[in-house]
Amino acid sequence: MMDRSKLRARDVVSTSVVGLRSRRGRTALTALGIAIGIASMVAVVGISSSSKAALIAQLDSLGTNLLRVEASSTGISIEPLPIEAEPMIRRVENVDAAAAVISTEFEVRRNDRDTNVVGINAMAASPELFETLRVDTTAGRPLDDGLRALPVVVLGDVAAIRLGITDLEGGPVIDVGGQDFVVVGILDELPLNPDISRKVLIGDQAAIELLGVEPNPTAIYVRVDPDLINETRPLLAPTAHPGRPAKVDVSRPSDLLEARAEVDQNLQNLLLALGGVALLVGGVGIANVMVISVLERRGEIGLRRALGATRGHIRSQFVLEAALLSGLGGVLGILLGSGITIGYARRQGWVVDLPPLALASGLGAALVIGMLAGFYPAAKAARLDPALAVSGGSN
Amino acid sequence: MSSAVLELRDVSKSYAGSPPIEVLKEIDLKISEGELVAIVGPSGSGKSTLLNMMGALDRPTSGEVLIDGTVVNGLRDPSLSGVRGRRLGFVFQQFHLLPGLSATENVATGLLYHGTRGRARKAAAREALERVGLGHRLDQKPGKLSGGERQRVAIARALLGDPAIVLADEPTGNLDSQTTAEIVELFLELNEQGSTIVMITHDQDLTRSMPRVVEILDGEILDGAAAEPDTDEDDAL
Ligand SMILES: Nc1ncnc2c1ncn2[C@@H]1O[C@H](COP(=O)(O)OP(=O)(O)O)[C@@H](O)[C@H]1O
Ligand SMILES: [Mg+2]
Repeated sequence: MMDRSKLRARDVVSTSVVGLRSRRGRTALTALGIAIGIASMVAVVGISSSSKAALIAQLDSLGTNLLRVEASSTGISIEPLPIEAEPMIRRVENVDAAAAVISTEFEVRRNDRDTNVVGINAMAASPELFETLRVDTTAGRPLDDGLRALPVVVLGDVAAIRLGITDLEGGPVIDVGGQDFVVVGILDELPLNPDISRKVLIGDQAAIELLGVEPNPTAIYVRVDPDLINETRPLLAPTAHPGRPAKVDVSRPSDLLEARAEVDQNLQNLLLALGGVALLVGGVGIANVMVISVLERRGEIGLRRALGATRGHIRSQFVLEAALLSGLGGVLGILLGSGITIGYARRQGWVVDLPPLALASGLGAALVIGMLAGFYPAAKAARLDPALAVSGGSN
Repeated sequence: MSSAVLELRDVSKSYAGSPPIEVLKEIDLKISEGELVAIVGPSGSGKSTLLNMMGALDRPTSGEVLIDGTVVNGLRDPSLSGVRGRRLGFVFQQFHLLPGLSATENVATGLLYHGTRGRARKAAAREALERVGLGHRLDQKPGKLSGGERQRVAIARALLGDPAIVLADEPTGNLDSQTTAEIVELFLELNEQGSTIVMITHDQDLTRSMPRVVEILDGEILDGAAAEPDTDEDDAL
């Protein structure tokens, strides 16, 4: 029967906006609290997802179709693989390339008078190894059939640094088992095979003939058809050691890289939780500022009540003010967090990957936190006695 | 009788305490359409409490308040707010202007809770500002206005939406005597144009030009005759 008060939806919004606009300094500082929380969460998600994207890109380029066949190391002494394992594996369907290596006990030295060893061992390799691993040289050339039986050596990138040999200037020579080996090449990095990075590689025939190394392979690297890995993998152990397939391990080096990405997940969760704490602190800050605001604006609240505002109108004004304040912080935080992610990813040489879902949920979280923070002060504002509020009297 | 826009019947108001403070004692008061009434009394006599009763800003402890013929005592918040917003206009000693808004925008808030569109609110606000003689100050923020100008803005805001009655609580309390005279003059003019106005003051001097004066002391209306509009007959004690 009575004419009720009515507030248009867009006026609800503009009323709250006016409230924030009239207190710019306070608005900016309060929003900053939320911005820091959101920015850190966006940066954590952005950086880890960019890092993951970079890892996946790296895996793609390295290929996940490299398998490693080796003698099982469960026993006390490792029984090496049969000599014919390499040619047998090469004959398996869907195997594109295979190369055997033989680990040796020979520690290398810069020369025969050098008493220091640098913890680098020689490894014998068949010339197909370089093609199988798809590794290039940064200097010189890899081993090939012509060099297979000669006293020459190719250095893994880490081994090269340990030996202090960065180029082939002046034809460097190193000592393996008391014999001189000429360095003919230095390998590029091997992200999937860090063990080989730390070896110096000599031809398998040279190892057998010059150093008396046993000819049984200790491991065989196998490149298989990428689409048929799962079908091919179970065939490798029985092929390598038909009598005792259980004595053979088959692993996929790229699994290790992927596992590293999974480990990062824990760290990411921890950082996210920290960002969440920052966000909560920001929310408490908003609640705080809103409570003060309500106390300061008793006159305004009383006036609005006199102009016809219902308790509900007052409540929604302050809840929305808090939500907008927080939303502003959210937008700021997303910009800041994206900026940090882009800057960091650029420096790491990664492609930037900012999941839109993470950005949207950042903004959503800010709005929800703001609303929650606004409820209590808004209820306080709505409960104010209009008569007391207009008089500007205390309590 | 039916022309009463505001009526208090036996209104008492006590505030909790031990003993309770009885601020208003069985007040009977009737304001008719077109009246300009001054309520005068010393500080602490209960004038603001009386205005809170008349303006439905607070509820009486006992008695009835009728605004525009409706008993408002029992109304719940949404309806009560509606009565305040649509039937009443308020002017306060502290002006209560929003510092971030221009004069026009401040006045326009007078229609905010009517659900009126922004454009129509602004138009009405400009018109009201012209009426109170501030047509040249439309876009000023309150900070740039003098005390008298601020109160004119507040009066314009109270006029918006054509309230049945305008209630002013010490509207000149913060103003110098020159400006006070101008504001009183404005009320007289607005009353001549048809507005029903109640003006509270503690300043006896201001009441001289007022057609009707109600005196209040310690929560009671002094002169019984003044409690009714000065219609001819019976009540003349
Ligand atoms: N909310 C309240 N609680 C308790 N006492 C009040 C309250 N409001 C007013 N009073 C008391 O009521 C009396 C009248 O106050 P008021 O109506 O403001 O007088 P006036 O406006 O004439 O100066 C004063 O003694 C004041 O202390
Ligand atoms: Mg007073």
